[in-house]
Amino acid sequence: MTTTVYSARRIVTMNPNRPFASHVAVRDGRILGAGSLEELKGWGKVELDTRFADKVILPGFVEGHSHAFEGGVWKFPYVGYFDRTTPEGKVAPGLKSIDEVVAALQAHEKTLPKGTSLLAWGFDPIYFGGRRMVVADVDRISTERPVVIIHSNFHVANANTAVLAKAGITRTTNVHGIVKDASGEPTGELQEMAAKYMAYRAAGVEIATALSDEQAVWRFARVAQLAGVTTATDLHNEMHDSTVEGYLKATGSDDFPIRLLPAFAATAIPPAEGVVRLQALVKKNNDKLRFQLVKIVTDGSIQGLSARMRWPGYYDGTPNGVWNVGPDDLDRVLLAYHRAGFQVHIHTNGDEASEVGIEAVERALAAAPRWDHRHTLQHAQMADAGQFRRMKALGICANLFANHLYYWGDIHYAKTLGPERAERMDACATALATGVPFAIHCDAPVTPIGPLFTAWCAVNRLTASGRTLGEAEKIPVADALRAITLGAAYTLKLDEELGSIDVGKRADFAILDDDPLSVPPENLKDIGVWGTVLGGKVFEAPRT
Amino acid sequence: MTIPFTVIGGFLGAGKTTLLNRLLRGAEGRRFAVLVNDFGALDIDSRLVAAHGGDTVALANGCLCCTIGDSLVTTLLGLLEQPERFDHIVVEASGVADPGRIADLAVLEPRLSRDGVIVVVDAAEVRARAADRRMGDTIQRQLAAADLLVLNKTDLVDDLPTQRAWLGTQSDGPILEARHADVPLDLLFGLDRHGATAASPPSDGFASWSYTWPEPVDRDVLLAILREVPGEMLRAKGIVRFADAPDRRSVVQLVGRRLEVGDEGPWGDTAESRLVILGLKPVLGSLQRE
Repeated sequence: MTTTVYSARRIVTMNPNRPFASHVAVRDGRILGAGSLEELKGWGKVELDTRFADKVILPGFVEGHSHAFEGGVWKFPYVGYFDRTTPEGKVAPGLKSIDEVVAALQAHEKTLPKGTSLLAWGFDPIYFGGRRMVVADVDRISTERPVVIIHSNFHVANANTAVLAKAGITRTTNVHGIVKDASGEPTGELQEMAAKYMAYRAAGVEIATALSDEQAVWRFARVAQLAGVTTATDLHNEMHDSTVEGYLKATGSDDFPIRLLPAFAATAIPPAEGVVRLQALVKKNNDKLRFQLVKIVTDGSIQGLSARMRWPGYYDGTPNGVWNVGPDDLDRVLLAYHRAGFQVHIHTNGDEASEVGIEAVERALAAAPRWDHRHTLQHAQMADAGQFRRMKALGICANLFANHLYYWGDIHYAKTLGPERAERMDACATALATGVPFAIHCDAPVTPIGPLFTAWCAVNRLTASGRTLGEAEKIPVADALRAITLGAAYTLKLDEELGSIDVGKRADFAILDDDPLSVPPENLKDIGVWGTVLGGKVFEAPRT
Repeated sequence: MTIPFTVIGGFLGAGKTTLLNRLLRGAEGRRFAVLVNDFGALDIDSRLVAAHGGDTVALANGCLCCTIGDSLVTTLLGLLEQPERFDHIVVEASGVADPGRIADLAVLEPRLSRDGVIVVVDAAEVRARAADRRMGDTIQRQLAAADLLVLNKTDLVDDLPTQRAWLGTQSDGPILEARHADVPLDLLFGLDRHGATAASPPSDGFASWSYTWPEPVDRDVLLAILREVPGEMLRAKGIVRFADAPDRRSVVQLVGRRLEVGDEGPWGDTAESRLVILGLKPVLGSLQRE
């Protein structure tokens, strides 16, 4: 039984009793203590490990809202505007124009076997300015092979003539989601279900399993680990037997670099069956795999024009969005899992959706009183002070989508929410002041996984164009760091086990090149991640 | 041959499940594949079950029932990839879904043809639901999407004419009244694949008429007839040789308020144009054969 003591330039513990330390002792994958070397030697014989001597150690980051299919999409070419780190630790360069996207895919197309389709992802035309991509652009990539370019929001796609022709989509096709130009011709841009359907047709329906197979979860774990994450969620999973087997196999390996929490997609099967299934899955839990979370999705997304909003609704007059799970079904499903003792994460983007979520929890508590449930509103982008007060009174947590401020902040300001509501969206300061336990997240692959960047968003509230989206909702760096460690752990009921560097907790660390509390707040996102430690095992990130 | 695709929509509790139960029991020689949200609500007689596996139930009458799970798109594509052929695919839309959007899948998928969007309406509850702050717009979209409406639970209201009139302002689709979703199945799902067999024996409240023409048919006249009495003419299906396209095999399909004319290739050797209309008697008694 060895006790290893790591020295560091600084250890930021997230433990208010002892916020900083110079050394941390690890035994059996757990933290024996953090403090001075003298104090730690009091535990007995230690082995000093100085490899982190000039690094800064934080608790391993906790990503409370991500999806393992981030690992699935990395099988396909990335064509986004921003540079993005691959699972191998390389940088996939951002593509800054339609021509650059076309050129990159032309090159990729030549490597594909005859008769297969080309699927690409991460496309971000809103940053190009100017015109939208049209079918003529995509035809330059190939006229024979079906080509589908999925946008970063995963709800829109661009297709080539081969895809449209195979589906018989012409100017007379009257289907919601087929975008047409002024003359009535389909532009090749497909939205919502039309996009989803054509992507599956092009790629083959087996893509659904390929996106969440064992290889995908390994790639996801690597991308997360590179960003300093030691615990991550896969926050919507139907938990088919093949997926569960794949997850068990992957997390059974010593080399698997994260702890994974899949959340059961509660509306996939009737609640009575779902409860039984989840109870059986919980018995398979191991150190790195925890089945315990439940997920329900109530509405769509604000930028997808499908969020459910209270009056006055969308700033630009777009009609109110759609219910995925309406109030009645939410009540019924939530109550079933609540009674069974599970913690439920409820996706609510618009404020009518968060209102419905809050009321559903209130009714569940009245029907089946329960302490410390920590049911969490996910995204809760439009929740206002009144809703945060209700959350506090009911013991509801919030996981706020801070990354939206950067990636879609300008669109929210100008189009969907208007200046006033955009400035108070993802209201971290209100959550903090009201005392609602909160986390902040990326929703990978919708935005890249990277808690330091997410913290940067919560601290600086800068949009991609450089506008500050609401001074009043900025939070201090220390609170943002807490939100990506102990705060997120709290929303997953893991706060006693990890999230801070404290005696008895898991030896999960993020090893950073710089001190996030010392760098200028605007540089928070630029701090390099050397690697992580998970349960005492060191995972060094490949350096590019 | 494409597979007809029907969507059953309507709010929770309106009677969609009752309707589907009747369909599965009364399928009569046609193989329906029915995609539902929840098996438990269905009342499948265990004696009818031929095989049961996870998310599908195969019935002795050749019908298949599957749960949709979390993705209708993947479930539907999976079904289409199976070697078994079905005569008709029916999807139960969730209580908050827009059934018109789901029906769009049949337009996108070449193996399917869009048959009808049938919305089941709870006569006792619909007005209140449509006025609900949170659900009102969802209800209105459902009603507006309907090709045909089943105004159900009529035994629970005493002001039925008022309900009907109001419903008429929300939707263009013809309205069929029912107490326990007991509407003739042929009105909802049409006759068999060939569409134009000899006139079916009339059952309570509805009848069918068959027409044949040896010579090419005037398009405008035929379509005008089909459009003329939308409230009473509920379904029509025909293989027609139009005078303005005598080499083409045109397919005419009417489901409720939706009239579509398609082209199915060269006319070939077929001798006559045929049309079958299903409607409520006694109104159709007044229709003249052209």
